[in-house]
Amino acid sequence: MKSPQRLYKNGLVARSDSRELLSSDVLVDGDGRIAAVGPHLKADPNTEVIDCTGCVLVPGMFDLHVHAREPGGEHKETLATCAAAALHGGVTGLVLMPDTTPPIDTGHLVKSVQDLADDITGITMLPAGCLTKGRAGTELASFSGMVSRGVPLLTDADRTVPCPAVMRRCLEYARDFDVLVATHGDTPALSRGGAMNEGRTSYSLGLPGNPAISQEIAIDRDLRLAALTGARLHLQQISTAAGARAVSRAKEDGLAISAEVSAHHLVLDETDIGDYQSHAKTDPPLRLAADKKALLARLLDGTIDLIASDHSPHTEFEKSSDFASAPAGFSGLETTVLVLFDQFIKSGRFGWDLLIQKYADAPRALIGLPKVPISVGARAEFFIFDPAARTAVEKSWFRSRSPVNPFIGRDFAGAVRETVVG
Amino acid sequence: MKDLLPRKDLLDIEGLTLPEIEHVLANAVPFKQLFQRSVKKVPTLRGKTVLNLFYEPSTRTSTSFEVAANRLSADVTNFTISSSSVVKGESLLDTIETLQAMRSDYVVIRHQAAGVPGIVARHTGASVINAGDGYHAHPTQALLDAMTFREVYPDFAGRKLLIVGDVLHSRVARSTSTLFHKLGIEVAVLGPGSLIPAGRHDFMQRLHTWDEAFDWKPDAVYLLRVQLERQEGQFFPSIGEYHKMYGMNTDRLVRLRQLGAYLMHPGPVNRGVEITDEAMRYEKSLISTQVENGIAVRMAVLHWLQPDTSKD
Amino acid sequence: MSEFPQATTETILDPAAIEEAIAVLADNIAKRHPSDLVALVGIFTRGVVFAQRLGLALAARGLHFPVGTLDTSLYRDDFDQHASELPRLNSSDISFVLDDATVILCDEVIYTGRTIRAALDGLMDYGRPAKIELAVLVDRGHRELPIQPDYTGHIVPTTATQYVKVYFRETDTHDEGVFLLTPA
Repeated sequence: MKSPQRLYKNGLVARSDSRELLSSDVLVDGDGRIAAVGPHLKADPNTEVIDCTGCVLVPGMFDLHVHAREPGGEHKETLATCAAAALHGGVTGLVLMPDTTPPIDTGHLVKSVQDLADDITGITMLPAGCLTKGRAGTELASFSGMVSRGVPLLTDADRTVPCPAVMRRCLEYARDFDVLVATHGDTPALSRGGAMNEGRTSYSLGLPGNPAISQEIAIDRDLRLAALTGARLHLQQISTAAGARAVSRAKEDGLAISAEVSAHHLVLDETDIGDYQSHAKTDPPLRLAADKKALLARLLDGTIDLIASDHSPHTEFEKSSDFASAPAGFSGLETTVLVLFDQFIKSGRFGWDLLIQKYADAPRALIGLPKVPISVGARAEFFIFDPAARTAVEKSWFRSRSPVNPFIGRDFAGAVRETVVG
Repeated sequence: MKDLLPRKDLLDIEGLTLPEIEHVLANAVPFKQLFQRSVKKVPTLRGKTVLNLFYEPSTRTSTSFEVAANRLSADVTNFTISSSSVVKGESLLDTIETLQAMRSDYVVIRHQAAGVPGIVARHTGASVINAGDGYHAHPTQALLDAMTFREVYPDFAGRKLLIVGDVLHSRVARSTSTLFHKLGIEVAVLGPGSLIPAGRHDFMQRLHTWDEAFDWKPDAVYLLRVQLERQEGQFFPSIGEYHKMYGMNTDRLVRLRQLGAYLMHPGPVNRGVEITDEAMRYEKSLISTQVENGIAVRMAVLHWLQPDTSKD
Repeated sequence: MSEFPQATTETILDPAAIEEAIAVLADNIAKRHPSDLVALVGIFTRGVVFAQRLGLALAARGLHFPVGTLDTSLYRDDFDQHASELPRLNSSDISFVLDDATVILCDEVIYTGRTIRAALDGLMDYGRPAKIELAVLVDRGHRELPIQPDYTGHIVPTTATQYVKVYFRETDTHDEGVFLLTPA
C-alpha cells in the first residue's frame, strides 16, 4: 500500500555546488523517492501539500562522530533517543563510536549493534569498531571480523593508542583492509588531570590544565605514522590552530589525511566556561579565540574536511558535580546545524553549500556512502529549515535523553522544522 | 556607605570592588581592637549559626573561623568530611540538601575542587565563605595579608611584594596577588620554572634568582608553603634542592634584614624547606600578626555578608 | 536639608543655645560629682562631639574628666538594623580603667533608648563601672525601653513622623544647630 505523494511547496533548495538557493517545489512519491524538483509543480488531490514558504530544504546531514551510549550507557542515551536527537538536528545518518560497554571490538559485537540499529527506522546508524582490544591500546582488535561486517571506520574513540609502536602496527594492518582509521589526538601523560585548556583561564579558575601540545604532539605523531605506513587516517576534533596547520602541511605532502572539527570549537572558546559551567567541559577542551578563528579559516580553505559533533551525552547529575570531576562532553547533535546557521550562515560568512559539503557530502564520501542531494531519482533525505523562526534552546527542547549542552539558555536564529527521510 | 550593596557570599577576590575591599579592611581594625579587652566577644551575631564545612583538613583556618564566629557570639558547628568517605558529585548534592534543611546563616567551606563554594552558594540562602577551593581562591587569606601589609606600610600603593614558591598550585598566591594588584602594590614571583605557570596573571612578573629578587627591592617577601600533599608528579628534584635554591636561609635573611623588608607566610610552615627556624625568629616577621589579623578579618567578613533569608 | 527635601524645618537650638545648654549640663554634673572618679564616654558619631564639648566645659569648671568613645554598631538589636546599610565600624577608645569609675554616657539625642541599651552592653564588656549615668543634649521622647537620662539639655516634643537633627561644626557641613523636621 503506497503512501500518498508529498509536495513540499515553495521552498528554497540548497545544494553543495552553488551558494545560491534554488526556488523550487519538491515532489516526493509514495516510495519516498524524489519524483520532481522544479517551480510550480502540480499536486493531484491525493498529494499532501507541505508549505515551505521561506524555508530552506537541505540534504540530510551525516555525523561521523556520535556517542550513542548503547549498549551499556542507556541511562545517558539509547540508539532510539540518539536517533530522535539526530533527526531533530537535521542529521539523517551517523557513525556510532565503539566506546560502549562492552566496547565494540569484534565482528559479533558489530553485528549486535547493527541489529539494534536496524530496528530504528528513518535514520542510518553505522557502528564503528575499535582499533585495539577493549580500547586498551595494547593489542589489535579483530579487524577482519569487523571489516567483513562493513564497519565504516576503526577508532578507539576518545582515547589515543599511547604506544607509537602499537599505533604503527594498527595502521600497517589497517592499510591492507583499506579501512579508515580515526584517531582522537591526545598525549595522556601531558593531559592527565587537565580539566580545561591550559592557559590564563585555567590559571584564574584554579583548574588543572590540559595543554594544547598534548593534542598537537599526538597529531604530529600520527601524521608521521600515516606517512610511514600509507594508511588512511582521519583526525578527530581538531581544536587548535597549530593542529590544523599540521594537517595542512600533511595534505601538501600528499598524505591520505582527513580532519574534522566540531561546531563548538568553531563558536566557543575557553572563556565560555565562565563560572565553572561544566556543560562547556569538552575533550578536547575549548581553546583560545585565535584557535576558533584559525579553525574556521581552515574549514573554509579545505584543510578541515568535515564537521562532526562528537555528541557525548552525560546525565545532568554527572555534569552537576564540580568542574574538575565532571565528565567531558555534551549532547551536540541537535544544536550543530542551528549554531552554525546562527553564527555563520545567517551572517553570510559561509553558505548552505559549505555546510552541505562539510556536514553531509564529505563525511559520506569518506566512508564510501553516496551523497543525498535533493534531486530527481534520489531518495528523499532532507530537512526543512526555517531561517525566520527562532529556537530557544531549553532543556525541555532536547530529544536526547541527556539535555546537557553549553547553549542551553540561548536563543538562536532559525529552526529545524522537520526532517524527511523517505 | 550608600553605594555599597550588600553581598551574600565571599567566593573570590576577582569579584570584589575596591569600596568593598576598603570596607572590610577598615572594619577589621575595630574588631582587632576588641582583642585587647578582657571580654573579646560582641553580641553581633548572637542567634546566628555558622557551619564550618571542611572537605580538606585544616586546623588553622577552621579554628580561625571558629574563633571569629565565637567572638561574634554566633553558634558554630564544625563538620569535617574526609575525602575517602566522599563520593564526588553525589555527596556534594546531598550535602547541599542537608545545608538547606539546616538553614545555617553562614557556611564556611573548604574543598579540594575549584568552583564548589560557588555551586553551594547558588543552592543556599546562607552566606557562603570560600575558605579555599582547590587551586582557585582563598579570599580571606588575601584580605588578612592585605591588612597585615597595610599595617606596616600605610603608604602601601607602589610598594612591592615578592611571592616565593609553588605559584602553580597555590590559591593563596592567586588571591593575594590579585588583591595586592588591585590595591596598587607591585607583585613579583620567584620559584622553580616547573611551578611558575606561563598562564599566570600578567602583573606577576617573574624573577629568576634571589639576587635578582633582592635587587628588585621588595618591601615584603611572602613565602609559600611547598605543597607536598597536593602535587601529583615531581616538580623539583628534592626538598634539599628546593631549600638550597629557594629557601629563606641565613644568607637570604641577612639580605632581607639589610633591605628592612618584612617576612610573611600563610602557614603552616615547613621548617627546613621554604623557611628556617632562624627566619621564623626574624624581628620583622609578620607571620603571627597574620594569624591575629586573620581572626579580625574573618569577623569583619561575617559581619559584612548578608544571608538571603528568603531562600531555602 | 538635602536628606529630607520635602520637610519643613524649625530651629530648636542655635549654636549659642547649644553652648548654653552644655554649660547648664556641666554645672549639674559638677554639682553631683565634685570630686569623683568620673569618665565621659561619647557614643559615635555626634555623641563624641557632645562628650568632648562637655569635657571642655567641665574642665573650665576645674574638673578634668577623661573622654572616651564608644561604637555601638556591634551591639545593636534587630530593630536598629537597616538591611540596606552597611555599617562602617568606628574604633572605640576607652583607654582608662572603667572598674569602680562612674561613667557618664553621652549622646546628642535620645529617642527609643535602644542605642543607649546597646551602649550599656558595650561599655560593660570593657569593664565594670561602679555607676553609669546618661547625659543627652536633646530628649525627643517615644521611649521603647525603660531608659531615662540623668542630665538633659533640652526636651523637644515630637511626633513619630518628625525627625530631630543635630549638626555640629566638627562633624557636619550643615550649619550648626538642633533642628526639628516635619515631612510634608
